[in-house]
Amino acid sequence: MTNSFAVAFAVARKDLRAEWRTRELVPALAQFVILALVIANFGFQIDARNAPSIAPGILWLVLVFAGLVAFGRAFAAEREQASLEALLMTPASPVAIFAGKAMAATLLLVGCEAVLLPALALFFGTPLSVQVVAAVFVATIGMASLGCLFAAMVARVRARELLLPLLTLPLWIPFIVAGGQAVQVAMGASGSYDQAMALLVDFDILFLVLTSLAARFVLDE
Amino acid sequence: MKVRPARARLNRYDRAAAAAVALMLVAAAAIFLYAPTDALQGPVQRIFYLHVSAAIAAYGAFAVVLVGGAIYLRNGSLVADRFARAGALVGLVFTTVTLVMGMLWAKPIWGTYWTWDARLTSTLVLWTIYAGYLLVRRLAEPGRQAARFAAVVGIFGFIDVPIVHFSVTWWQTQHPGPIIVNDALPPEMLATFFLTMACTLVLAAVMVVIRYRIETLADGALQTVAEHAPIVTAREPEAEPVN
Repeated sequence: MTNSFAVAFAVARKDLRAEWRTRELVPALAQFVILALVIANFGFQIDARNAPSIAPGILWLVLVFAGLVAFGRAFAAEREQASLEALLMTPASPVAIFAGKAMAATLLLVGCEAVLLPALALFFGTPLSVQVVAAVFVATIGMASLGCLFAAMVARVRARELLLPLLTLPLWIPFIVAGGQAVQVAMGASGSYDQAMALLVDFDILFLVLTSLAARFVLDE
Repeated sequence: MKVRPARARLNRYDRAAAAAVALMLVAAAAIFLYAPTDALQGPVQRIFYLHVSAAIAAYGAFAVVLVGGAIYLRNGSLVADRFARAGALVGLVFTTVTLVMGMLWAKPIWGTYWTWDARLTSTLVLWTIYAGYLLVRRLAEPGRQAARFAAVVGIFGFIDVPIVHFSVTWWQTQHPGPIIVNDALPPEMLATFFLTMACTLVLAAVMVVIRYRIETLADGALQTVAEHAPIVTAREPEAEPVN
């Protein structure tokens, strides 16, 4: 058991170190986020009055598409150098390897959120409260586990850029339903923040369990 | 190779398909001739019978995908995988029917084709998930990889739908609830509904079986091609011509 955790952390550390040395993904995602906010500004007519009702939608749209870009890259290095096969040939369990990849991808997405949330507050004047940050972070955990599962799947499929969004987006919708509600309430809409957060935690637990069960079938191929 | 004569008799798949079509005509007769016209909504309420039956047939077909996928992941049964493939396609067809008929019904009654109601939203999500399932099947390498990946998508998809449904329903709803179990229908309508549902389920089952047959034949064709195709992967370099 400890061995599995050690493997997962080692894989995550490898991915994060590779990102730190190349510094490709997070800067690219940060720029993607800024550009998306610029587009949102022109797409909607945003002013101080309607910002709290529009900003949550922008937040989730940008986050979802940034996440797709991030998870699309999660297995890129492995694919380009055919190192996933080498990883899987080691005695380490596929689930531990998957968990490591997922942890690293989650942290990279959190890095992108660290740009998105302040930028949203800065450009649209919405509150950057603990509640907003908590909702986004809790949603990220479950979304990342699903995103990483399907990223592992499409890594060995033709037309993977097409398939990843088509598979991932429908399964992310529960997180958007609950996370959208939580952020809307945190930005002043009526509703129950606690209920939405409880739902997000439930989804996290459910999808973490399911993806760890499914990871074996996806990676062990 | 034997060539079948052109005037071949109907095989059992043809006969099953003809029977299913005949049953649907019976159901149509019941819907338009036997069932009374709704006092409030008028004739448009007759959409109800096929709309709800198609939805139930779609759920049944997706249950086949779920069970087939789970069995495939457990023991690699090709039969289970082919049934899953057949169920996904048939379920997608019936989901499309449900959505389109629902929209046609909603326009005169709700005044709009679409509203972001729990039932409508989750059905649309259902549609996208199984469209994705079929795309995985097409894009992944045929055989083990496609079957495994699709099984995972099918299982996640089946779980996702009730989640979307209930998470949305906790905040807003417009679609009517279950009226069958609430005993809100007059007996003629109830009889027509159950007849239509039975006929639709027969139709769906026949479609799954025919699709299963097609998948079996396609697998066989793939096998034949694989056996007879020349091996081109490990071609040796040709010898230099000697002058």
